[in-house]
Amino acid sequence: MVVFTFWDWLWLILYIVVMIFSGVLFYTLGKRSESDFFLAGRGLPWWLPASSVYATHTATDTPVWMSGVIYQHGLTGMWYSFFAAWCAVSAFVSTRIFRRSLAYSQAEWQTLRFSGLGSELLRGWMAGWQVFMNMMILGWVGSAMGKVCHYAFGWEEWIGLVLFSSICAIYVLAAGYWGVVIADFQQGIVVFLGILIVSVWGVYEAGGPAGIVGRLNEMGESWRLNPFHFSGWFTGDFPIAWFITMLFVALLGGVGMGTTIDWYVEAQRIQSAKSVRDASYSIWAGTALVLTRNSLWAACILGFFVLNPGILSKDDYELAWFRVGFENLPPGMVGFFFAAIVAIHLSTVASILNLGALYATRDLYQHYINPQAGERRLMWVARFSTLLVLLGSFLYGSMMKNITDWLMFALWVMAAGVWLPNILQVIWWRFNSWGYLSSWIANLGLSWLVVWILPQAGVLPQLPDYAQFWLLMALGLLIYVPVTFLTRPDDMNHLVRYYVQSRPLGFWGPVRREAERQGLIRAVTEGIEKQTA
Amino acid sequence: MPLFRTNWTAHEADEWTKEDFWACVFSSLSYVFLMVGLALCFLLPWLGILITLIGVVFVWLMYAVIDPKLRKISAEYEVKQKEYLKNLDRVMKWEEQ
Repeated sequence: MVVFTFWDWLWLILYIVVMIFSGVLFYTLGKRSESDFFLAGRGLPWWLPASSVYATHTATDTPVWMSGVIYQHGLTGMWYSFFAAWCAVSAFVSTRIFRRSLAYSQAEWQTLRFSGLGSELLRGWMAGWQVFMNMMILGWVGSAMGKVCHYAFGWEEWIGLVLFSSICAIYVLAAGYWGVVIADFQQGIVVFLGILIVSVWGVYEAGGPAGIVGRLNEMGESWRLNPFHFSGWFTGDFPIAWFITMLFVALLGGVGMGTTIDWYVEAQRIQSAKSVRDASYSIWAGTALVLTRNSLWAACILGFFVLNPGILSKDDYELAWFRVGFENLPPGMVGFFFAAIVAIHLSTVASILNLGALYATRDLYQHYINPQAGERRLMWVARFSTLLVLLGSFLYGSMMKNITDWLMFALWVMAAGVWLPNILQVIWWRFNSWGYLSSWIANLGLSWLVVWILPQAGVLPQLPDYAQFWLLMALGLLIYVPVTFLTRPDDMNHLVRYYVQSRPLGFWGPVRREAERQGLIRAVTEGIEKQTA
Repeated sequence: MPLFRTNWTAHEADEWTKEDFWACVFSSLSYVFLMVGLALCFLLPWLGILITLIGVVFVWLMYAVIDPKLRKISAEYEVKQKEYLKNLDRVMKWEEQ
């Protein structure tokens, strides 16, 4: 258990007070309008959403998970986090297209991209699912914080789950996305410093680079230094087939929207940027920080490994990075480390709280229940929704031991099955709302079949995850492609309007020709050329 | 003739060109080299520094290729954004679909 000195408590309390104060300071901005509460008025320079991307995707469970994969697999474990590289492509493709659409959320984008009843069904389904998923994700990170606090202070796990999320909710309720993004910027700095200090400290506790490499050589474990230590083409812990699938899924996935669960929170950051250019750089830079942060952790965990080899329990080695900090930092610095952990936690909690409230307020309440709602009413609904998401997270967080497997299933496999449709909706004009809707419904059923039911019945072997991905993709195609062609295309005028505004990539020939026939594309540029002449 | 364009009209910048493709390629490579390089900086320092520097070169290439185009797209789009926002509001209120 960790014992705090006066200076440790001082760091921590000071930090929490500064966080709440700076968030609440933006109350007057946050309450101005729905656009301010959820998008900071669409006026942010690239580095603010970038720091929010970085801070949000550094969650309490992230060092737990990274410690696990690096302790087990050495530097090859870093590739498990490389799915984030979808942003390398998205920054210059789907981010640009989405930013131009001006949709507040991915659910709203469905009604801009598609038309008719199908688009509204998609919007409603996606908004409801996102509210639920954000409660689950918050419960998950809250549960991870509960474990950390239990390890450090011996607290009951529910205290870590409830306490810090509630503190965070103060400034999110007050200032909305303004509070989130300003706090994320500060938290990003504290988090980066905390990760850098602890990780470098951990490396030098283990004897520095030469000490770690020498010890790994003595142990016959030098393979852990090789980021490309494959176990074979199809076999073992790190097959080449998995690596190629990961690169394919990550990089090509950047062409689509929603190909990973992270898209939904990035979408808000994209729209908060002041220009298309700022949106692109915010996504690129935030993810670059995420990946390089993983590099610091990887080096530190290898240092931990040489000092503590042979730990068999996953629960033990997953706390490696936290142990490096708590066991090695001097008094006075431990408080700063815990403040960094709190920063890691609050940045994710704040973003997810506000995102869940966005879907509930704009996509469900405003669009379906009260389209004429004024800004004052929307602010109150936004705050009520924030509270609802918070309370939901406590419920799911308390059940997390029993539902972690289900959550991993929901995040990975259910997203895997709609990976290709999420790309098709961006690049192919003919892929309509019914095709997309059928892909979601089909995947719900197919993923259960492929992952659990058929292997239990002996019809299918238990396949590795990358093989499940390819199988689900193939099976899904057999359903949503016929549905697409058997149903009518979306309304052409609707598609033309979308095309002219967003200028998507891919197979949009008929829509483009219609836009040119209507004189819309030339008319826009001619008008601008006259204005700028 | 330069390998990549740096002067764009608004109409040209709206089209998808090889600059977009190469920006994605350089961007992806920069992520790989930066992630691997920085980890190795703390384990095999000389190798790590070299790989990280290659990553930085890819970052610079990505920026040089795409930034002129992004600036033009942004400038052109912002002129129309107010009108698009009014349309979005009409869709929200079911006044338009």
